[in-house]
Amino acid sequence: MMNKIENKNNKTKRYAANILLAAVFIVVITLIDQNLIGDQYIKRVLNLSAIYAIVAVSMNLVNGFTGLFSLGQAGFMAIGAYTVAVFTVPINYRASIFYIVPQNQVLAQIHLPFFIALILGGLAAALVALLIGIPVLRLKSDYLAIATLGFSEIIRIVFTNLKTITNGALGIKSIPGVSTWVIFIVAILSIVLIALLINSTYGRAFKAIREDEIAAEAMGINLFKHKVMSFAIGAFFAGIGGGLFAALLGTVDPKQFYFTMTYNFLLMIVLGGMGSITGTIISSFIVTFGLEFLRFFDEPLAMFGYNITFFRAGFRMVIFSILLMILVLFFRKGLLGQKELSWKLISNIFKGKNSNKKSNKGGAA
Amino acid sequence: MKRLLSLALSATMVISLFTGCTKQEQAPATSTSGDSDVIKIGVFEPLTGENGGGGLQELDGIKYANKMYPEVLGKKVELVVVDNKSDKGEATTAVTRLIEKEGVVAIIGSYGSGVSIAAGDIIKNAKIPAMGASCTNPMVTQGNDFYFRACFLDPFQGEVMANYAIQQGAKTAAVIMQNGDDYSVGLGNFFINSFKKLTGNDASVVDISEFQVNDTDFNAILTNIKAKNPDVIFAPSSATTAPLIIKQARALGITCPIMGGDTWENPAVVEVAGADAEGIVLSTFFDENDPATEEAKSFVEGYKKELAGKEPIIPAVAALGYDAYILMLDAIERAGSTDGVAIRDALNATKDFEGVTGVINFTPEGDADKNIAVIKTVKGGQFVYIDSVEVK
Repeated sequence: MMNKIENKNNKTKRYAANILLAAVFIVVITLIDQNLIGDQYIKRVLNLSAIYAIVAVSMNLVNGFTGLFSLGQAGFMAIGAYTVAVFTVPINYRASIFYIVPQNQVLAQIHLPFFIALILGGLAAALVALLIGIPVLRLKSDYLAIATLGFSEIIRIVFTNLKTITNGALGIKSIPGVSTWVIFIVAILSIVLIALLINSTYGRAFKAIREDEIAAEAMGINLFKHKVMSFAIGAFFAGIGGGLFAALLGTVDPKQFYFTMTYNFLLMIVLGGMGSITGTIISSFIVTFGLEFLRFFDEPLAMFGYNITFFRAGFRMVIFSILLMILVLFFRKGLLGQKELSWKLISNIFKGKNSNKKSNKGGAA
Repeated sequence: MKRLLSLALSATMVISLFTGCTKQEQAPATSTSGDSDVIKIGVFEPLTGENGGGGLQELDGIKYANKMYPEVLGKKVELVVVDNKSDKGEATTAVTRLIEKEGVVAIIGSYGSGVSIAAGDIIKNAKIPAMGASCTNPMVTQGNDFYFRACFLDPFQGEVMANYAIQQGAKTAAVIMQNGDDYSVGLGNFFINSFKKLTGNDASVVDISEFQVNDTDFNAILTNIKAKNPDVIFAPSSATTAPLIIKQARALGITCPIMGGDTWENPAVVEVAGADAEGIVLSTFFDENDPATEEAKSFVEGYKKELAGKEPIIPAVAALGYDAYILMLDAIERAGSTDGVAIRDALNATKDFEGVTGVINFTPEGDADKNIAVIKTVKGGQFVYIDSVEVK
């Protein structure tokens, strides 16, 4: 009886804490959006982190939750980014952007509102994922990785050559920007949708596939259907992330979407934990902020009148790599492994209890 | 024990993040505290990543200019260098950092047009004047009245080479471009347009081929070109690709002149292509053996010493970096203040400024209005000046 009351007490406490956190979060984002606190620099890094978080979580859905080693994220981002770029650039700017090869006559007349273009970008990415997924998802592990990696390069090269649509290597500029609010709302919505999906029947099927394909199939899970679904949904959100990315930067060109970009996200999900949404969010903020914070290593530093030779351009990348190695050494499964950040997890860590139990809902936004 | 260690580690990480924030918050307090005795100029260059090499060369030129002209308005000029990693996302945060955290009054850079375009909107909104040194894509300054540049553009260079080719009696041309490279594609297309216009014959460009990044075998393209027998081949490409094209063309028995852009003025081209490099033609920004202005004379002399044999020739981008810096300094001096709009207006009013790369005026778009390019060739393993081409 006592136990029950205590449990209930704890629950209300956590509930209150969650609401408080959400409220604080909303206030902080509003203040930043209105330029009342922080500055453009913090704002920009926050925006970038939020966008990276969407893409990283979408990649985690495929890689961490469904156990498919896919490296196509940069390609899907490119599709979303280009859709937003092509449809949202004001029509009167277009002739000056497409100054070598004129834009396709039909496309040159179409202008869509940002949100419609964004969703369209996501859908286009999902459609392409569906088409590519049907043959490619029959492959496993490394082969799948190679096929998806190759595919993302194909997308980049196709975009380089579709000059009447994408302006080829010259890229597109003058994409209207978006506010911090929009970016964060889209990010939260996307991540919540992915979290809901993961906690649904489909999500449990994804996890079952990750753990053991044969057992999952024996339990009556249609492997192929679920894999394609996870892949396409992951691509959809990567496309959304790409669209936001294009709007944030105001420009796109094919070189942005090299396969090295995918590794950036792979780093985030491995660091945060394959199979942890909150871990991925935390790590995308850590990686983005960390790289910016470490900038002072790039600046020359004089100590006692001597210039320390280490402190020069590129040194922060060395420090960053060392930090990553340390992190991977001590957190072999990433920061959170397959757990989610929750009040229970935090209190368990402080109490020193072994927290093997999986807790579902995350407390932090 | 392990848990303790991991906790300690994550704690330090979190703390370091916070100290990062607080430290950064303090920074503007020192930089914007009234009129301090330094004027900060931001340098925004790729020092790592794909364009790291070129970025460093440009930075050296800017640093040398800072050494020569360390003061403006009676205050010391401090260069604040940030690395944009040749990456657009990073470029936007780097520029925001310069403007917000460091409180720079002006920005110089960057090598590579893509990152400059990405930074352009931020620069425009913050009303901080920027001077590109070697970003040649027209879109950098287009519709952005705070972005200027010290170099000529892709269209101009393409036109120059077309003019030169026709002066030399060429009737037909073949063009090889690198697919996916804005520099190469820009130059190539403008060459094609001008060549067609100047010859008045749409069929005068007999072959247009594109190759992929990191391609090393150009035999297919070159065999095709050989069959069409053009009077000249124009192949704007990077210094790593150029010697391969040149060597393979000569090996196939193609004897017509091969021409390129400013990227070819690189010792690596001569080194790798060896004797085959003899007779290639390229356009560039300046000629160290024939300084155009007084400024150029002293620059060539001083910078040669500064390089101390590190590089056999002065990289053109270093000269442009130098020009970008002195142009900016001149504008600040004339504006008499560090206000962004005042500096911009001063830059717009720049008249016949004597830079290292020639006499500079700005077009309404903010591009250096140069009408002369230097044509060089390779003779005896050396780059030698052959002509200056003027385009009206």
